[in-house]
Amino acid sequence: MSYLEYKVKHVPTGLRKVLYINWVLVLLVSAVSSVGFLMLYSVAGGNFDLWARPQMERFALGMVLMFITAMVPIWFWRNMAGLAYLVGLALLVLVELVGASGMGAQRWIDLGFMRLQPSELMKIAMVMLLAAYYDWLDVSKVSRPLWVALPLILIVIPTALVLRQPDLGTSILLVAGGGTVMLLAGVSLWYFAVVITGGVGLVTAVILSRGTEWQLLNNYQYRRIDTFLDPASDPLGAGYNITQSKITLGSGGWTGKGFMQGTQSRLNFIPEKHTDFIFTTLAEEFGFVGAASLLALYVLILFFCVVSALQNRDRFSSLLILGIAMTFFLFFAVNMAMVMGLAPVVGVPLPLVSYGGSAMLVLLLGFGLVQSAHVHRARQK
Amino acid sequence: MTRTPLRPLARILDAREKGENPDVIERENLRRRHDEMRDKARLRAEGRLLVLAGLFLCAFLVVGARMAILAGTDPTEPRAHAPGARIAMARADIVDRNGRVLATNLATYALYAQPPMMVDPIRAATELASIFPDLKAEKLLEDFTGSRKFLWIKRKISPEQKQAVHDIGEPGLLFGPREMRLYPNGRLAAHVLGGASFGKEGVNAAEVIGVAGIERRFDDYLRDPANGDTPLTLSIDLTVQAAVERVLDGGMRMMNAKGAAAVLMDVNTGEVISMASLPDFDPNNRPRPLTRGDQSDDPLFNRAVQGVYELGSVFKIFAAAQAYELGLVDPSTEVETKGPMRWGKFTIRDFRNYGPRLSVTDVIVKSSNIGTARIAVQIGAERQRDFLGRLGLLEATPVELTEAPGAKPLLPKNWSELSTMTISYGHGLSSSPLHLAAAYSSLLNGGTRVRPTLIRAGRVERGERVVRPEVSEAARDMLRQVVTRGTASFGEVPGYAVGGKTGTADKPRPQGGYYDSKVIATFASVFPANDPKYVLIVTLDEPEETSGTEPRRTAGWTAVPVAAEIIRRIAPLMGLKPEIAPLSPTGVTLTSN
Repeated sequence: MSYLEYKVKHVPTGLRKVLYINWVLVLLVSAVSSVGFLMLYSVAGGNFDLWARPQMERFALGMVLMFITAMVPIWFWRNMAGLAYLVGLALLVLVELVGASGMGAQRWIDLGFMRLQPSELMKIAMVMLLAAYYDWLDVSKVSRPLWVALPLILIVIPTALVLRQPDLGTSILLVAGGGTVMLLAGVSLWYFAVVITGGVGLVTAVILSRGTEWQLLNNYQYRRIDTFLDPASDPLGAGYNITQSKITLGSGGWTGKGFMQGTQSRLNFIPEKHTDFIFTTLAEEFGFVGAASLLALYVLILFFCVVSALQNRDRFSSLLILGIAMTFFLFFAVNMAMVMGLAPVVGVPLPLVSYGGSAMLVLLLGFGLVQSAHVHRARQK
Repeated sequence: MTRTPLRPLARILDAREKGENPDVIERENLRRRHDEMRDKARLRAEGRLLVLAGLFLCAFLVVGARMAILAGTDPTEPRAHAPGARIAMARADIVDRNGRVLATNLATYALYAQPPMMVDPIRAATELASIFPDLKAEKLLEDFTGSRKFLWIKRKISPEQKQAVHDIGEPGLLFGPREMRLYPNGRLAAHVLGGASFGKEGVNAAEVIGVAGIERRFDDYLRDPANGDTPLTLSIDLTVQAAVERVLDGGMRMMNAKGAAAVLMDVNTGEVISMASLPDFDPNNRPRPLTRGDQSDDPLFNRAVQGVYELGSVFKIFAAAQAYELGLVDPSTEVETKGPMRWGKFTIRDFRNYGPRLSVTDVIVKSSNIGTARIAVQIGAERQRDFLGRLGLLEATPVELTEAPGAKPLLPKNWSELSTMTISYGHGLSSSPLHLAAAYSSLLNGGTRVRPTLIRAGRVERGERVVRPEVSEAARDMLRQVVTRGTASFGEVPGYAVGGKTGTADKPRPQGGYYDSKVIATFASVFPANDPKYVLIVTLDEPEETSGTEPRRTAGWTAVPVAAEIIRRIAPLMGLKPEIAPLSPTGVTLTSN
């Protein structure tokens, strides 16, 4: 059922491919990124060089990467999936051994010109591998226990490594991304029921284990959970982030205070204002209207991805597109929920807007794969 | 799962009959089956995708709704349970006997700086210096640009100042809420209230502690959060206190005195209705204690309580009353007053010669030292000491002020017969005006002991008996006559039957001996004399009445007119009705002690 089994009616070749790129998607991604540049400029207090410029440079690099990826046939990427996964895994192990620490977590490898976060790379690599796996696997075998166990192992290994860093946000993203591909591939819903039940059990165990010798999470993670459940309990300490974040969101009102007029972020009330909490500045300066507009852009990106996946008859392509779209959505949803106090603060950036090289490059690489799948799909002549 | 056979026999036989290749049928069926499975998988994937899309949509809707809620609500600042906020606030109020506020709390702000957060230290420093003229811009800039992370700038600032500082727009300048002690009446009853200042200070709150007077004495009570709603009720009457201070201040100026004190006491309960000491201060802005010179010249010095001096002839009434109580004399008994009286090396003189003999009443009225000394000799040292002790003149007063226990009367080391004589006319034993007020009250209220208090008393039990009621009445009669025909003729206030005794004592030199021309002039009065309600003590420090050709310093010319003016003002305020009696024209009466 793979691509080659179709009767190839028309696949563009050469420079013609450029015409078949999903330009609307490119435009949407650029628009979201531009919002990011604007906000980084504002958050830096009108300083262009501090955050906005490096972000733009990385965006340019990412766009080039995206186009190159889009030009390469999708079947090449399918064949590369296993290799990408192995490289990602190797890097995760490497970061465990020699990685640099930031904010109490060991997440980066310093490459000189940028600091690489292998866990970001892993998100894409895992989706690729799982999509390739279900492309290869006979549809009738999808729900057999042995063939379910294999992808589970593929998900669990990198998740465990990421959890060790420790980075709860990224591990949630990894599990959810992998799970989505499995769900769409048609794995029996019973497995999901079992996993979800197990997850609930694990959460219970985690909460119960607090304070005992076999405590499963770090104290700071427990405090974040506490703060999530009751941010008002410690508004100046652990609940400071979320309380100030909510004040900021609320202070923007419907139409906002105006560009560069956000007092909360300008006066440093907001922590991590240029990374995880950048959305609050947007909401403060442009109000509900601005925030809802960004939301609409994200919805459109997802919409175009889903449409592209439905148009595509190739199993690998559609699974890959949806997996990447899901990862993108999770980035955004977890960040939003965190900023608005709907979820604990787990440290997930706002995709394409937050300052940060790895996430930007990896997301653009992901969109490159989506474009490649889009360009190289079978078309009626 | 029912499967259609790949090679159905009927169709194969049919095909064979027609001469077709039956394998085509198998391939055809295989392809169909494949397509079927693929379509089923795809259908399932699309169904699941639809569910997933629904979830996406839900998530977006939730986020959007949440955003709308946040955008639509006014942000509220978080209430901090910061540790600093636990410093006890809400110190109890202090009110006068009628519930009028003497001390309360005011919400204000302290100004502090966090230099690392500063955007423009130079501008902040210059603007601050222009808002607060007492701050130096250079000094501030030095602090702001140095290595300090935190510094206090002002302990208390007014709302206008706060706004002005706020308008600088400097994020490194911050305000901490403060509850500060406010004395709305300013200088009124300053020595009674004492004052308060900040103790432990945090960014979000500061402790208020009493530093003197009632504030210090009742610090624990006032700070106890359980008493936050129940104010401390003093015996002071705000209106009377204001009148006393005003008149006393005018009198002090007129008599060119450098200090003055007054105590007004309820004779029956010992409640201090008014207590004034001049010069005074503003407890809202308590001055620093003097570091040089005489402590008694410090405005913080409470003359009424801490001013322990020999008070002179005001003591004579104690000797007369005790002698009558002991049955040695009665008011009409003649006493030898021929002077000068010699006792060893010591000579006792009178202000002028009153002739060879005077009745006990006249000894008091004319204020004869010799006559009093002769009475004292009959009483003896032991009995005199015991009697003065019962009047509370030998120990510190129990009044509820921090300063009171330190103000002990100065007693002679050796209570000799000579001491007995000098003490009888008020020399050789030093006490404060408050002591005198309590002693006069005890003697004149019918003869039962009262103890001075600044706290409004409920029902007061009669104290132990000091003298018989008739002795008390006789003493009042003598004091009344001092005013009607004696040394205190300026003390007459029509309708209030003032009785009293003057006292003019030379001030001791610090190096020993006495000044020739510096005196403490005291008038101890009771009114109305026939039905005693209040005792008023007025003391002037170094008065000099200069309307005549020679400066006059005796109490009759200085303290008495001031006390009379006070009584004239306050008696109606306290609800005393003047008893209308035919006015006797006041002739010119020479006064002396």
